[in-house]
Amino acid sequence: MKNNLRNRICFYTAAMIIMGFLGCKDFLDAKPDKKLVIPTQLKDYQALLDNYPVINNSDPGSGEISSDDYYLTDIDYNALSQDYFKRMHIWEKEGLFNETTNDWSQTYRPVYVANTILQALEENNENLKNSINYNDIKGQALFVRARSFYQIVGLWGKAYDDKTANSDLGIVLRLNDDFNEKSKRSSLMESYQQILNDLQSSISLLPSAVVSPIRPNKAAAYGLTARLYLSMRIYDKARLYADSCLQLNNVLLDFNTLSKTATYPFAKFNKEVIYESMIPVPAPINNSRAKLSLNLYNSYETNDLRKTLFYRPNGDGSHRFKGSYEAGANLFSGIATDEIYLIRAECAIRANDLASGLKDLNDLLKTRYSKVNGTTTYVDFQTTDQKAALSKVLLERRKELLMRGLRWLDVKRLNKEGAGINLLRNVNGISYSLPANDNRFALEIPQSLLKITSIEQNPR
Amino acid sequence: MMKYIYTLLFLIVFIGYKPVLAQDQIRGTIFSSEDQIPLAGATIKLKRNGNGTNSSADGTFTLAGFVSPDTLLITYTGYLPIDIPLNNRSSLNDLRIELQRDQYALQEVVVSTGYEQTPKERSTGSFTQISKSRLNEQVGTNILDRLESISSGLTVDRTTDEGGKISIRGLSTIRGPRDPLIVVDNFPYEGDINNINPNDVESITLLKDAAAASIWGTRAGNGVIVITTKKGNYQQKVQVDLNINSTLTGMPNLDLLSQMNSADYIAVERFLYEKGYYENTVNSLSRPVVSPVVELLLKNSNGQLSDDDLNKQLSVLGTQDVRNDLRQYNYQQGLNQQYALSLKGGQTKSAWFLSGGYDHNKGNTDANFERYNLRYRQSIKPITALEIELGLNYTQTNNSNGKLDYAGITNDGSIIYPYTKLADENGNYLPIVKSFRQSFLNTLNNPALYNWDYVPLEDQNLIHNQSKLQDVTANVGLRYHIFKGLSADLKYQYQRQNTNGLNIQQEESYGARSLINQFTQLGTNGQFTYIVPRGGIRNEQQALIESIQGRAQLNYQQIWGKNEVVALIGTEVRKTVSSSSSNRLYGYNDDLLTFGEVDYTKTYPTLIGGGAAFIEDNVGLSQRENRFVSLFTNASYTYDQRYTLSISGRRDASNLFGVKTNDKWNPLGSVGLGWNISNEAFYDWKALPYLKLRSSYGLSGNVDLGQAAVTTISFGSNSPYTGTPRGFFDQYANPELRWETAKIWNIGIDFSTKGNRLSGSLEYFRKVGDNLFGLSPIDYTSGIGFTVVKNVASMKGNGIDLTLNAKIIDKKFKWESQANYSTYKDKVTDYYLESLNGASFTSPQALISGIVGKPVYSIYSFRSAGLDPLTGDPRGFLNGEISKDYNALYQNAKLEDLVYEGSALPTFFGSLGNTFSFQNFSLTARLAYKFGYYFKRESISYTSLFDRGLGNPDYSKRWQKAGDENSTTVPSLVYPANSLRDAFYEGSESLTEKGDHIRLQYITATYNVPKTVLNKWKLSNLQVYVNVNQLGLLWRANKSGIDPDYEYSRSTIPPAKTIAFGLRAGF
Repeated sequence: MKNNLRNRICFYTAAMIIMGFLGCKDFLDAKPDKKLVIPTQLKDYQALLDNYPVINNSDPGSGEISSDDYYLTDIDYNALSQDYFKRMHIWEKEGLFNETTNDWSQTYRPVYVANTILQALEENNENLKNSINYNDIKGQALFVRARSFYQIVGLWGKAYDDKTANSDLGIVLRLNDDFNEKSKRSSLMESYQQILNDLQSSISLLPSAVVSPIRPNKAAAYGLTARLYLSMRIYDKARLYADSCLQLNNVLLDFNTLSKTATYPFAKFNKEVIYESMIPVPAPINNSRAKLSLNLYNSYETNDLRKTLFYRPNGDGSHRFKGSYEAGANLFSGIATDEIYLIRAECAIRANDLASGLKDLNDLLKTRYSKVNGTTTYVDFQTTDQKAALSKVLLERRKELLMRGLRWLDVKRLNKEGAGINLLRNVNGISYSLPANDNRFALEIPQSLLKITSIEQNPR
Repeated sequence: MMKYIYTLLFLIVFIGYKPVLAQDQIRGTIFSSEDQIPLAGATIKLKRNGNGTNSSADGTFTLAGFVSPDTLLITYTGYLPIDIPLNNRSSLNDLRIELQRDQYALQEVVVSTGYEQTPKERSTGSFTQISKSRLNEQVGTNILDRLESISSGLTVDRTTDEGGKISIRGLSTIRGPRDPLIVVDNFPYEGDINNINPNDVESITLLKDAAAASIWGTRAGNGVIVITTKKGNYQQKVQVDLNINSTLTGMPNLDLLSQMNSADYIAVERFLYEKGYYENTVNSLSRPVVSPVVELLLKNSNGQLSDDDLNKQLSVLGTQDVRNDLRQYNYQQGLNQQYALSLKGGQTKSAWFLSGGYDHNKGNTDANFERYNLRYRQSIKPITALEIELGLNYTQTNNSNGKLDYAGITNDGSIIYPYTKLADENGNYLPIVKSFRQSFLNTLNNPALYNWDYVPLEDQNLIHNQSKLQDVTANVGLRYHIFKGLSADLKYQYQRQNTNGLNIQQEESYGARSLINQFTQLGTNGQFTYIVPRGGIRNEQQALIESIQGRAQLNYQQIWGKNEVVALIGTEVRKTVSSSSSNRLYGYNDDLLTFGEVDYTKTYPTLIGGGAAFIEDNVGLSQRENRFVSLFTNASYTYDQRYTLSISGRRDASNLFGVKTNDKWNPLGSVGLGWNISNEAFYDWKALPYLKLRSSYGLSGNVDLGQAAVTTISFGSNSPYTGTPRGFFDQYANPELRWETAKIWNIGIDFSTKGNRLSGSLEYFRKVGDNLFGLSPIDYTSGIGFTVVKNVASMKGNGIDLTLNAKIIDKKFKWESQANYSTYKDKVTDYYLESLNGASFTSPQALISGIVGKPVYSIYSFRSAGLDPLTGDPRGFLNGEISKDYNALYQNAKLEDLVYEGSALPTFFGSLGNTFSFQNFSLTARLAYKFGYYFKRESISYTSLFDRGLGNPDYSKRWQKAGDENSTTVPSLVYPANSLRDAFYEGSESLTEKGDHIRLQYITATYNVPKTVLNKWKLSNLQVYVNVNQLGLLWRANKSGIDPDYEYSRSTIPPAKTIAFGLRAGF
């Protein structure tokens, strides 16, 4: 009996010690956190793409801060706590960005998500290719990468010019998930080419219909391509893509259906929205500070509903913006049908197809003017003068698309066309100006980035 | 009855078992004659054949090879040796040997590592043992709180951690986990240490060097605290102990909060108002809070308030101080009550311990804490060769919130205005501004809405925060003596700690009313809909920690001739699962348990601001699981009680994510030498009868289980837009990541003078931390953030621990003194710095500076050139010239432009205790001190003051006119605030202070009722005691009246004095 017990205890002790030596492989393979996963499945990739705070809700606001749709009073300027915002507002050459989180760091985040997915899809091609969502996810990733690159090139690249694009500085094109890769600036030509390639590929992969505009569809990719060609001043292509986009979705909101008294009259995801994205409003252009350009306000006719739906009087003659498709103070930067109408109209007019161009313009504006007894008070704009048509469509573009993150690229592009738009500010009695085609239209590369990389600063 | 239960238990476990004993063996138990407690580690030797052994933890021993006749020699440090002649007629089975205490000898100390018990004499490592009596000099709920002022080499770091972090011999990691490992009765404690009833603790041992700690492997890099709880002893009469005490806690001194004088604050608001600073706030559609002063100023500007009335009202506000109201309505004296009862006893084959404890603490703001402890331990020896140990502990704690404290009353997340009035002269509670502009709320006269007032003194009764914790720990251990000297140990422990938190905001509470109002949709013709159902809000959190630990261990002990070997080898498996969940109910009615339905997938325009918002679901789930497998061994060889060589080794493996099993193993170990010089033949220094030299070297480690070697993603809540889970990156592939290692070298001498008048130890240690986690900056074009964790850092540390115990007067009147003195210095030897910009090293908070050659936490400052006599601007030096170019001084300053002032952590520290006793009275007083370090005092930042209302009393000392620069360093007020100017001043040497201080930690007086009286009352002992704790500073180096230990943040204030009365009785 006693020996029995002794043997048993010896056996168990020895067995446990030997087991310890062998290492219990399975025991140690348990996941330390149930929520952790090594991304290998399409649903993992979709989850990364559905992380809307990173993918959709952190578009850069620097372009809008540097643009001329608003002004600040001296009091509001002085009360800004961040020095870099003050400097950006008056187009300083340097010190425009926060040392850590800034528009550069935020806009490259979706690029890493897209690259991780694209690379994984490449490597697991065999296993995943036959899944129904394969194309969709690949298309989404390409679209997301293209959209980020588009925003980066718009802020840090010069206006696109066919003649100099090969030598002008472009952006850092990250195309894989190696975060140790050394950053190198491509040429402006290469940058735009990469964005166009990504968008081209995504168009054929993306579905026509999606569960929510928070995910891109074919129309979104057509629309973004049109926007890109417009900024490159390749107007025939821009027209073509705008047209393809509107073939899929050409719905316009009738502004007569909206409440004039609501704090924010537009609903998020209203039916004009093709693709949803947002600029979290930075302090200088928050509507509690930013006063909208008075000249612009005065250019609306009295029966133009936008004058009441976009503008909220402050009581002192100035106005704040309330027309965001985000139903709040944040700015809508996504793709909506109104913008695509205006692209198609402008390009048609530039191609001297005034009939088509003015039809688009008039179709859009009809929905923007008040109705009496069901009939619009809007009088169709008609002309045979191409110049007059062009300046009308450009004015309407500005009146329709203010505070949508588009003005900065428009100023750059139109100055290339010879518009000679000089930006002016008056702060604390000092005048500041940003003359047309100035080097500062390509923003400073954040200084904190230059300390850890060897990429080239934009000419200041 | 008791006996019956034991017999039953015994029968169940080992039914049918009959012990048979060998004839040539001697078995017995060694006791202390004084208190009849079994003595572990006594040396038992047969004189003739030289065989020997040591008594085990329960005092028993087995010695083979007895040939009659022979003499048994028993020696034990601290006791008089004894010889027992044995012959054929002697009973060899159940010897009961009692040793007399040697009054003038060293006390034998047995140190416990959690794996084995070693007499200190034979140990080579650095152990500090803290006895029950020293622990009992203080009163409190948490056992670890008592360690700070009584242990050598241990300090509580309140510089880098507000709550205070225990640190043993300084740092051994830079960014890794810094907590020492806490072991309770053989196993790492995974629950809340507050669960332990201090009255159940028998002793605490600190394991400080590699030889002591490396047996615990990767978690021992920061030292180990081994807590041993009380248990019953074999052959012990039933003993009942009772301890009752009450502790009164004084009111915290709210005057020490860095709050600006109300009149000054109002003056600043007025100044800013005139500059138009509040324009943006007043105009905002989201209706942010506008302070009462600014509202008055606005009224005045609009002509609704005359200048006279304005000034009158402002001057009334200027005399108010919110702390007065808080003192009157919300603060009170705290009262802690503690009751502990324990019973223990033992027969020849079993021993038991049973204790119960009840704690009830009422805090300064009426928060309640209750704790129930039940602990049961049983040792059974069904046969001589087998011992079974069973333990069962149950703890339950209940916490409930009290009233709001100073930091608890906020407006829109920022600090409360100093002139806020919480109640009027008649005691009527007043509303204060909270999340929206009050004058706007007053215009919302809609019957559909709740009243939107926030009355803090009323609201605090409408919010209930409760948490309930239950902890069950069960363990079982088997020790079987296989044959002479060899035994096997099997140990198993299961622990389950369940925490249930409940937060209810009643329908009438501000939080519920405000949220329901915000989502109420008002139609044009008086219609309205509630999106958030009317009622209360109920939040529930559940957290569960389950840990299973098992250990198998073989112990070997053999003495032959002058040789003695003690060795163990074993394996250990540990698994800890922590899971949590949370949920929220809206429209909750606590009486009926009804709740409402909410649609979380849609946005709704909010009433104020008009922006679209989701209703927060507050649902969460998580589950983490850590697994370890370890192998360990420990062996020591002693020759002739003079030389000891010890080695230890351990390999740990864990379920680090994405690492191949083979790479998970991490070997650690140590080697140590001990030399009992006083046992040498040549040694005859009578004045110093005990002298020992020891040294050890070894490797311990540190692991961060949060890291992974592959890119991993984690899933968050569903996207409301697509209804699918959102994924985000959790870790980025980091395949080179390995465990941190700490090499520790220790050398020490232990000594004792004749009659033990002066004893102590002096130790010197060096630490080298390699492969330490550090942040390495990364090009943020990568899109993964700004830094990644890599094994890029290394550091060195060294120091001295000196412990002295002296019996200064040892007559009828006794004076005993105990001193701890430690030094600690570290320096970074390798670190990857994000930038060498001076600005990143001058933060007012002690941050990891990481400068090679300097301490891990260093204080650096901008050189100050005083204030500009014309403007009151702070000035610095630029290329040797006085300058006010803050961009150059702050933004572009390089490390070499800064002054290095010293370490932010104390470089020498310790404590001094004196006990005076006369007859039955005794008085102990203990000082604690920290020296050789610096801190940055907080002062005014106009940027923070304007933006967030964070003021500082220094405001009143600011430069106002020429000449002030001679008496102050506080810069003048400027508008707009220049954040660089503020940051330069905050980082300048004008604000650096020496941290050195001496604190009177506690005074304890006890009276023991004399034996004659006790006998009458049939008591074995009775003691009454008074303990006064947190007596404050006796001396400080800084002239600003700051307690450097409580300077972590603007809301940190020193703890209030406590006074405890209690009695201990034994039956």
